[in-house]
Amino acid sequence: MNRLPSKNVSRFSFEKLKNRSEWLIYLAPFAVGVIIFTLYPIINVFLTSFKENFDYMTKEFSGWGLGNYTYVLQDPYFHQALKNTFFYVFIVIPVSTCLAVLIATLLNQKIKFSGLFQTAYFLPMVTSTIAVGLAWRFMFNYKSGVINYFLGLFGIDAINWLQVTTGNFPALCIYGVWAILPFTIILLLSGLQNIDPMYYTAAKVDGAGPIRIFFKITVPLLMPTIFLVMIVNTISCFKVFNELFPLFSGPGVANNLYTAVYYIYYQFRIQIPSRYGYATAAAVILFVIIFVFTMVQRFVEKKLKN
Amino acid sequence: MKVTIQNLTKCFGATTAVNDFSAVIESGELIALLGPSGCGKSTMLNMISGILSVTNGKIFFDDEDVTELSPEKRGVGLVFQNYALYPHMTVLENICFPLEIKKVKKEERVARAKEMAKLVHVETLLDRKPSQLSGGQQQRVAIARALVKHPRILLLDEPLSNLDARLRIEMREEIRRIQQETGITTIFVTHDQEEAMSISDHIILMKDGFLQQIARPQELYDEPANCFVADFLGTPPINKTYGVVKNGQIVLEGDCVVALEAAKKLDEGRQIILSMRAEAIVVNGSDRLTEGIIDEVYVMGKEVLAYVQLGSRRVRAYVEADKEYNKGEKVNIGLKKRGVFVFDKETGERLV
Repeated sequence: MNRLPSKNVSRFSFEKLKNRSEWLIYLAPFAVGVIIFTLYPIINVFLTSFKENFDYMTKEFSGWGLGNYTYVLQDPYFHQALKNTFFYVFIVIPVSTCLAVLIATLLNQKIKFSGLFQTAYFLPMVTSTIAVGLAWRFMFNYKSGVINYFLGLFGIDAINWLQVTTGNFPALCIYGVWAILPFTIILLLSGLQNIDPMYYTAAKVDGAGPIRIFFKITVPLLMPTIFLVMIVNTISCFKVFNELFPLFSGPGVANNLYTAVYYIYYQFRIQIPSRYGYATAAAVILFVIIFVFTMVQRFVEKKLKN
Repeated sequence: MKVTIQNLTKCFGATTAVNDFSAVIESGELIALLGPSGCGKSTMLNMISGILSVTNGKIFFDDEDVTELSPEKRGVGLVFQNYALYPHMTVLENICFPLEIKKVKKEERVARAKEMAKLVHVETLLDRKPSQLSGGQQQRVAIARALVKHPRILLLDEPLSNLDARLRIEMREEIRRIQQETGITTIFVTHDQEEAMSISDHIILMKDGFLQQIARPQELYDEPANCFVADFLGTPPINKTYGVVKNGQIVLEGDCVVALEAAKKLDEGRQIILSMRAEAIVVNGSDRLTEGIIDEVYVMGKEVLAYVQLGSRRVRAYVEADKEYNKGEKVNIGLKKRGVFVFDKETGERLV
């Protein structure tokens, strides 16, 4: 590009305008999509959450205020939803991360049929959630399910996973762990493959056994990837919602599996007339929670690094 | 620790990386495994360390057969080409790690690590992470980590190849000093002849998986066992000319007759290679073995290097700096005894 001062600085030139605005043209397709489908809805949700008695059809509302928030924060259903969501996150994230690190490490070894194992572990990612969910329903079946049969082999009494409130939550967590494992394993596997095998050789020459190598070399060097999957999975687990449908076709027995996103969905879709104000207020609260959690995780990650 | 290698062979599928290799490395020596890329020197080192299994042959440390032992049982200290310092550990933790595995008590391992750090001059860097160190410092830490468990032998894989030129000279002297201070039998791999020549007690020269010669550096230079050894060592490279023995003289390509005394002992009609070091060629000296034509003269500081046409080939020769030579000038060529070799053309075997 010519940067020398030109005599025609002040004169309008179509050529110049084209040069200056060219980047806009390249950016436009993506930018338009983001603005319409992401930015606008976010702002709209945020604004709507402060509109009291908002009517979606007529766009009328009685005034600005925190009424939606006070309602939602006092709603026992929302309390239940938050409790469930937190428990879900605190169970699924550690369990799935530990399992994934273990499985990824095993898959990373030079074992026979490792391709077969990799395919098997990645299968959940490419299969239909609903179809798989139905399979899980069979597996969780009280009388004829394979899971209860398996537990029976160890002398554990059959658990009524799907029809009793006490069985609901564990079933949801098991399914949730299973559902996020493949994605987690893929990321961890790529992280593992980035570790120079020379570190393992060095440790082996010094006589380190496989367990020590795993905890002293593999895990620390994998930490950046572990943090990445934990952050990504925490965000997605806070939004637990889809998982409810294949297993329970809804929020579990006696509505005891309300989750934060299900609460939003309930206010927005199940309630008639829809309570947009409550739904959006709950969404903003969930956003703040996820945001704080992500920040805390990043803070911890930085602390650990130094 | 004396290291004895007997008929060692290593095959990777159809390729043979090391072929029937035998050598004895005396205790307390600094040994260079020298050779061009792909000659099997790193494979040799990895077999001595135990990282690679052997296809055939045996390795002894003193009288102990270690061929089947795993690396940690051999008690070797290994320094990797890229140092392989654990990036998540500090310098102190890195040096302590081998002792931690051996379940040495904490105070003792810190004390020993600090002692090693002092030996390699990194005692002020103990709290740093490897990424905060220069290449030379990383190398020192890697050596300290290899030495801290008091290994029986120390192995270094291309220890200087990742350093810049100035640091390389400094570090090779450091390796020599550390080796002398600890008295540990040390084997290092290099493809740099200067590195090998400058610090090692003996050089093991390899090519294509075969041992070429084991000798002291000067001996390797003065008495090469074959044409490859003569070619590989020396800067500028040795002058290589091809010829045939005729009437007790050597006739080089381009009908250049060299009246080499030693040629009288050679079989008539034998195809040979006459190799001459640049410093062994005397231009216009008292001896006249043959004639050449001055082609080009380069003044390089204290030395003057002349290119002389000898038959159909050009050879490099150091000439006296105070004399002038013109392009195209005919000169008498004499050859010193030292630095002139005759090899068989077919086998490369040394004849004279």
